[in-house]
Amino acid sequence: MRARISSFVLPALIVVVAGATVPFLVGFNQYYVLLALQSVIIASIALAWNIIGGYAGQLDLASFAYVGLGGILATTLMTEYNITPWVGMFLGAGVSATLAFFIGYPLFRFGVKGVWYALSTAALVVILHEVSIMVLGSFDYYIPFVEGWYYLRFRTWENLYYFSLIILAFVISLNLYISRSKVGYYLKAIREDEVAAEAVGIDIRKYKLLALMTYASILGFIGYIYIVSQRTFSYKTFDSSLSVYIAIIGIVGGLGSVSGTFTAALILKVVEEYLRGYLGGVLPGLHLLLFGVLLITVGILRPEGLSTLTDALVKKVKARIWGGAP
Amino acid sequence: MLPSSNLILQSVLDGVFLGFLYSLMALGLSLVFGVMGIINFAHGDFIMLGSYLVWILANSLRSDPSLMSVITVPLFFTIGAAIYVAIIRPVLGKEPLIQIAVTVGVGYVLQNLALMMFRAEPRAVQISYLNFYVNLGLVSVHTAKLTSALLSLFIVLGVHYLLTKTWVGLAIRATAYDKEIASLMGINVGKIFLLVFGLGISLTGLAASLWMTFGQADPYIGSSFGLLTWVIIALGGLGGVSGLLASSIIVGVIQSLTMTLVSPSVSLAIPYIVFIIVLWFRPQGLFGKG
Repeated sequence: MRARISSFVLPALIVVVAGATVPFLVGFNQYYVLLALQSVIIASIALAWNIIGGYAGQLDLASFAYVGLGGILATTLMTEYNITPWVGMFLGAGVSATLAFFIGYPLFRFGVKGVWYALSTAALVVILHEVSIMVLGSFDYYIPFVEGWYYLRFRTWENLYYFSLIILAFVISLNLYISRSKVGYYLKAIREDEVAAEAVGIDIRKYKLLALMTYASILGFIGYIYIVSQRTFSYKTFDSSLSVYIAIIGIVGGLGSVSGTFTAALILKVVEEYLRGYLGGVLPGLHLLLFGVLLITVGILRPEGLSTLTDALVKKVKARIWGGAP
Repeated sequence: MLPSSNLILQSVLDGVFLGFLYSLMALGLSLVFGVMGIINFAHGDFIMLGSYLVWILANSLRSDPSLMSVITVPLFFTIGAAIYVAIIRPVLGKEPLIQIAVTVGVGYVLQNLALMMFRAEPRAVQISYLNFYVNLGLVSVHTAKLTSALLSLFIVLGVHYLLTKTWVGLAIRATAYDKEIASLMGINVGKIFLLVFGLGISLTGLAASLWMTFGQADPYIGSSFGLLTWVIIALGGLGGVSGLLASSIIVGVIQSLTMTLVSPSVSLAIPYIVFIIVLWFRPQGLFGKG
């Protein structure tokens, strides 16, 4: 049992330890720490997507519906009622999971899949976007400056970054755990062939719903951190383009591959920041255009994404650690 | 205060006109999906691309946007054929998720290309020969909207005629029905696919010309048109021109009434909610056959 637990906890620990050195390596430069924080958030969201998109094979384009809902709830509870995000984030996770239940239950119950599933989730983001214009109004909300662990807001970004690393570690472990558990095999069977999976007795509705709600609750939980890292929220938090971006990371990384998705998230985020920093003023949207090209290229030439490269690397590292053939 | 019945009547009429244009927008998507089984998520973004092209052409040639279809239709046929060869053909027969991903990529490229070149502000063509209202007492008719509705209906019926009454149409329908047997019967399926995809994209060029006679171009209309046209296909089911027209008009009217009675900011939310609910209960579409 020990080897089994270490197999999904150890990689997460390695990521946390390696990640924790980043602020020291960049000399606590706040720009880089914030960039690291945003990368970790995007990687966590993309890895949560991997559960519904990668393992279960459902092209979900609604990630920022759940991030926005959970995040705005936790932020509003804090600013309006002084409720700590430690509670608010769990409530956000609960509300996002509930939304996922009400969306997913009928969709899976009535056998909506493939393109129709993708469209429904894309429509969900637009619906929340438009409804929130009516509810929140069309302006940006800035969070009043409060400080301390009670609010999970600090003068500098390091503490929040360390906190987000713990979330990332949790999401990585959860992914690895799922991929080696019964549920994971069920989900992959559903991805490969739904009819066959149902024929061998897998309750496909139940497991798809479970995957969707797990994904949504992680996103609802991260929402608060995402909004704090953006410093503001509004109806624009329900972002269709970003939701597609998350799916792009998942596909470019390789469906169902934890190392691939993680690597893709980091690479794309760094490329994005680099291009935005150097050409953003001249050519806004250039990085997204390139990611579109990348997605087309991966789809045509390498549907398995980065996973074959990163999996080989992970194997090598494992062999180093365990000192034998993996 | 309740809106007057005149206002509602006016709104329904505008919705019907818009609905006819939507049917033209959805026609190409329906053809590509119905015949090739290709899930094109970039369809709306081609309409967006066309709208910008029409905006540039009409402003520089100082002419009506609808006349620009003479340029956009053949150009978009070529673009469609090129995209088919370069991007769609390699993923034919691959799993749907990869097909969707590739076309999502195309849409993403087009949308951000537009954002890069034209920024986010909406653009409209100033010159239009038909930009006036005719007062009919109870309602007034915007001539550009009326013309685009009539032309759309004409084209939709024309394509329907092409599919049902000509040899090419027969070959297309045979391919849609079973492409292996069609190819055994001597139909060049590769050519039919090229033709259908080219035709599908050229129809977006035409729809864009008509849209720009009264609408605006911005980088995000592609996403809205893309989803809306998919909603229309979901409601209409595949294969029937009457289902396509009926569901387009329903979507147009719902959208127009939402703008008048609720708020323009939720003009997409209501059709999408209807769409999701219809998907639950009638996965084959409102007008589709069981």
